[in-house]
Amino acid sequence: MSAVAVDAPVGAGTGARGSSNGALLALARFEARRLLTRVPVVVAFVAYAAWIVWHTPGSWDGHPALQEADRDTQAMPMLVGLAVLVSANFAALRPVRHGTEQHLGVLAMPAWRRTAAHALSVVPAALLTAVCVGGQFTWEALKPGAVGHGSPAELAAGPLVVLAAGTIGVLVASLVRSPVAAPLLVVPLLYLLVLGSGSGGADGVSWLAPVVVQSGGDALPSGLLGRPAAWHALYLAGIALCAAFLALLRAGGRNVAVRTGVALTLALAVAGGVLQARGAQPSPELTAARERAVSDPALRCTERGRSTYCAFPEWAPRVGVWAGVVDRVQALAGGTARERRLVVGQRIGAADLVSDAAVPPRSEPGRVTVGTAWGGNRVPEFSSAVAAVLVTGSEKAGGELCDGRMVTLMWLSLSWQDDPMDALRRVRLDDSVSGSAIVLSPTEPLSMTEGQTDVVRRLLEKPAGGTGERVKAHWDELTEPGVTTARAAELLGVAGPREADSCE
Amino acid sequence: MRVAAVDLAGAVWRTLPRRVLAAAGALGLLIAAVPAATGAEPTPWQTLTLLRGVALTGALGLAFLLDDPARHLTAPVPVRRPVRQALRVALVAPLAALWWTAALLLVPSASRPPAGAITLEAAVVALLALAGAAAAVRLTEGARPGPAVAAALLLAAVLAPLSLPEDWALFVAPGDPRWAAAHDRWAVLLAGAVVAGAWCGPEPLGRRRWRGAG
Repeated sequence: MSAVAVDAPVGAGTGARGSSNGALLALARFEARRLLTRVPVVVAFVAYAAWIVWHTPGSWDGHPALQEADRDTQAMPMLVGLAVLVSANFAALRPVRHGTEQHLGVLAMPAWRRTAAHALSVVPAALLTAVCVGGQFTWEALKPGAVGHGSPAELAAGPLVVLAAGTIGVLVASLVRSPVAAPLLVVPLLYLLVLGSGSGGADGVSWLAPVVVQSGGDALPSGLLGRPAAWHALYLAGIALCAAFLALLRAGGRNVAVRTGVALTLALAVAGGVLQARGAQPSPELTAARERAVSDPALRCTERGRSTYCAFPEWAPRVGVWAGVVDRVQALAGGTARERRLVVGQRIGAADLVSDAAVPPRSEPGRVTVGTAWGGNRVPEFSSAVAAVLVTGSEKAGGELCDGRMVTLMWLSLSWQDDPMDALRRVRLDDSVSGSAIVLSPTEPLSMTEGQTDVVRRLLEKPAGGTGERVKAHWDELTEPGVTTARAAELLGVAGPREADSCE
Repeated sequence: MRVAAVDLAGAVWRTLPRRVLAAAGALGLLIAAVPAATGAEPTPWQTLTLLRGVALTGALGLAFLLDDPARHLTAPVPVRRPVRQALRVALVAPLAALWWTAALLLVPSASRPPAGAITLEAAVVALLALAGAAAAVRLTEGARPGPAVAAALLLAAVLAPLSLPEDWALFVAPGDPRWAAAHDRWAVLLAGAVVAGAWCGPEPLGRRRWRGAG
């Protein structure tokens, strides 16, 4: 027995290299199959797939900006990564648990090549994660309302996290020969993942976390994101490979290739970490570009019908939907408002990924603001802004509105929608259809009094056709500043409010 | 007879996975000591999360408590398996109680959640680990169910807060109106874990041939 054990490494050293690599790959294939069928890994992948199917249909109200949707693929692979870490660690420790280390020692394949096979066995799990990430992103990209561009580096983060978790599991197995090490390591890792995800990525240290989530604020044009995503992917890849090579070194692979690998991958990880830290702070050019995007954005303008629509180039495909809303609202208006030429301009409140500043309203007549998000509540909000400009002349005047014109404004905004009452509920901040409330719009919110709400509700409960005739017939009086809610209700043929107008 | 009991306790003590338990206990105390060591003043929610992590760490250690490489040799001895398993638990329980008290005292008292409620949560997760280990011993031939049970416990600890429906919420914050109802659910879980663990104790007579875990 001992003679064989002593002779074996000699045989391995002089044996044909090709067959040895074949054995390595065969072992890696076997371990990969085993890894992918472990219960924790299967449960994690099933949970991941279920989350994708549950989450993706309703995300971003069906109108994703792909430079934002790509980041959304990063959080769930961490769960898969934890399962892969523990399972790869247990697989590498199987000889310890079964007391077969001495038996394996007599094989021609040295221990470090077995470790290499374990490290390689993680790759299919990372590839399967890549398939899930790709599926989720493709789903988002195929939605009819999708705009913008995804970043391959952001999409690579998920699979690289799984790869790094797996190789770290193998490394831990070669450092601590006890199956308790990996589960215990996961507990501090959980804190790290949660803290890292929530840190906001404001400085270089927070980018050392595997996934940096930056949420809040609107979707931005890709050029203004300023996320060092490519360097972060390099950093993750460096960590993954470095852990694998350290495991080989620890398992006795002391040859030149392994030593060089350790040095190179360590350099890769450090370079990625340093460069992403430099990229975490926005450069002066980026800050200037962001300020320009807020104050004086470079928009691409197109004419649709009577009006002009100016959008960030990536949002150009959405112009048609905006034009549809403007046309519908304008068709309900009367007088000169029916023919008025509007300029719809896209604007953002703050051009970083953290702050959530409001967009100031335009005081120029005929200018309407639209944000970067669309779908769901954003539609009645934009519709209200268009109606406010048609009724009062400008966005700023709409925000200061406090008289019977609010009734006409809300009727224009809501009556063309599929379910006007539901749209009324959604556009109001407190989701109510009675009492006074704030009405959201892309810029300053509008406010409705209790009496105005009652009148608007009565109008929306009536058939739209009759009211439409009355709005057109009495347009000038309905949109005259100072008209009371009671007078507006009378003109439109519904019961007036119980009390006179009073704006809080 | 008394001598035999002392001998048995000594023998069982020697077979306990003491290094695993010590490692888990040390890590748990380290986690609990983070605010004191860094001088941070955590919010009640952060302290609660920290203590839940400590409890999980301890339970991960306890998942290895019923690992017994000699289980197939000791199957026919007169002292039955429930007695031997209960002895293992009894030997560790005082130490675990001391350890948990130390962890509670280590976190800042200003933001410490109600001690009884968080201790109930810790007891449930510890008993779930033990019940899982007992079930693995009962249902499989494996001598060391610890790693599989620990992995299952971790997976449950990560997935449960993410996926539990609102009506079954367990992981609530101290100020939450659902705090009391959530701890009723924890108490039900405690009873369930105790019953399951007790049921899994005896050596089954008609043994089905299942492959060992891991």
